Amino acid sequence: MRNLPTTCPSCDSQLAVARLVCPECGTAVEGSFGLSVLAALPTEDQRFIVDFVKSSGSLKEMARLLGVSYPTVRNRLDEIIARMRAAEEEEPT
Amino acid sequence: MTTDIATERVAGQRPTLPDLLFRPFGYVAGAQSLALGLVAILAAGFLGSLSRTHFDGVLDMHTGLVARRAFFFGAGLIDWLSLSVVLFLMGKLASRTAFRAVDLFGTQALARWPTIIAALAALAPPFQRLVAGLAAQLSSAVPAGGFSIPAGDLAFGGLAGLVAVVCLVWMVWLMYHSYTICCNIRGGRAVGTFIAGLLLAEIISKLALGIALRA
Repeated sequence: MRNLPTTCPSCDSQLAVARLVCPECGTAVEGSFGLSVLAALPTEDQRFIVDFVKSSGSLKEMARLLGVSYPTVRNRLDEIIARMRAAEEEEPT
Repeated sequence: MTTDIATERVAGQRPTLPDLLFRPFGYVAGAQSLALGLVAILAAGFLGSLSRTHFDGVLDMHTGLVARRAFFFGAGLIDWLSLSVVLFLMGKLASRTAFRAVDLFGTQALARWPTIIAALAALAPPFQRLVAGLAAQLSSAVPAGGFSIPAGDLAFGGLAGLVAVVCLVWMVWLMYHSYTICCNIRGGRAVGTFIAGLLLAEIISKLALGIALRA
């Protein structure tokens, strides 16, 4: 399955979901649905979060998995946290 | 959002030679870098004791010192500790995120490994002859015909000096890289606090080494 695009290729704004389809019966639901904070992150960040949860939240284990140093993983996590905070702030209340 | 070069490296990618030479701390930090770094500092101290080359300050390298062997080892350790402590405090002030002391102290120790090459260059016999000749001539009156140094020794001495300068510049880059990675600081804030830290650590190390040499 292709990656979910999260930003507009024209103006870089966050995209919203307009149509959802059931792959089994073909039923379609249309409307304007926002993306969750996690879904709004770039695919590589989502992958990092999945690996991080699977590593029981261990940065040391993540560093071993990715073949990078501990501070590199820590910095990557900080970047993702900053993106999540920015996405939360952008969310309409 | 912009990302740091080192944090952009992705899983499964083996570090390239330029990565290992100029951005090693994206791959090694913590206790491993501390152990390797201490070995490098002591190795540079040992080689320095053979060539009478000492690192008398965070950024200094001089040759021709007559001192106990312990001073050559101690100088590297004092330089390392001075900068690490100052950068740790700078990091605590400037960084917005938490970081581990062992990463900063370890990578700062490993950042000093180019001093091994600098000490090795100073160990070469032509360089030793050049230094001994210069010292002898400078301690006496200038002869009428001026100083006479063999051209080969002069050329090699210049080359060894160039190698030492390159190694010191490389070492400073590695120190900066360690600081930005370990404390997660970037841009002007990183440059400014690093330069301030370097100058402060240079003064502290000079004072500490002066005390150590008199002891």
